[in-house]
Amino acid sequence: MVLTKIKGWLSSLFRRKKDVKLGIYGPVNSGKTTLANRICMDWMGEELGAVSKVPHETREINVKENVTIKNGRKSLSFNLVDTPGIATKIDFEDFVKAGIGGKEAKVRAKEATKGVIEAIKWLDDMDLVMVVLDSTVDPINQVNVTILGNLDARNIPVLVVGNKTDLKNANVKRIKSSFPVYNTVGISAKNGDNMGDLYKALLTMLK
Amino acid sequence: MNLKIKFMPYEKFSKGSLDEFIESIKEDTIVLIDAKLTAEQEADIIKETMMKVSQKFPGIEMSSIELSNHENLNNFGKIKNAFVEAIIGKKRGMTLIGPAKIVHKIKKTPEELLLYV
Repeated sequence: MVLTKIKGWLSSLFRRKKDVKLGIYGPVNSGKTTLANRICMDWMGEELGAVSKVPHETREINVKENVTIKNGRKSLSFNLVDTPGIATKIDFEDFVKAGIGGKEAKVRAKEATKGVIEAIKWLDDMDLVMVVLDSTVDPINQVNVTILGNLDARNIPVLVVGNKTDLKNANVKRIKSSFPVYNTVGISAKNGDNMGDLYKALLTMLK
Repeated sequence: MNLKIKFMPYEKFSKGSLDEFIESIKEDTIVLIDAKLTAEQEADIIKETMMKVSQKFPGIEMSSIELSNHENLNNFGKIKNAFVEAIIGKKRGMTLIGPAKIVHKIKKTPEELLLYV
């Protein structure tokens, strides 16, 4: 624990600002790739990855280099790193329900497990992380706690993003009260709602 | 099916092999550890679990509560707890880990872990 903190502090001290890595982490199906696509569309005019309602659609790390966001006179360039959803289990039944057959489901599950391992390994390389949570579900679960705990242990600044505010039962206040020490922004990555607040928060955190 | 519940002292967990630990959970065993694990230990468990996922073993459910991080504690209480934990070498609390095919959900409140099997 102490060693990880010292390592995180030293790497943040010597990290070159031009190589800033902004990670997108979170549980499965919270809208990480939808957010990555929204950011890339807003500032580069092109998407980063495919999205779907099938769990573990993103099974490998996707990086978009040299994304620059601006707000007034402030601007920030970074490499955007979209990661597979972190999970403690891979439910084969979910794939079958989504119409994915036995053999393909097995391959998809294997890729998903590798994706989770890769996402955890990449934690050490991040300068700032957006933890994307689905604001329609209870945020107190082990995956969220483990992600936030690992970022905290590495001294990596965190912006908690309560996604899917376009849905009727969205509750960003519940996320804020569950994780009160973190800066939290509620957005709809799908519709682009409140993205201005998200960009302002990122510029403030990485200035 | 015979479901086993195994108590594991934190000292044994922290010195033991993670591979053997997950293998024991695969054999329909729910493990109760007498401490809150560190975030890094939790991440290591997830990584090890992912290496072993198959159709027969879809993964795990895991949850923990930390007794020393109670909101009602004043600063003196928090310092006292940190001191005690530094001496005993673990975070006071408990961690429950079970196979996902049996443990469908663990609901967590500040003082309770509710297991849905």
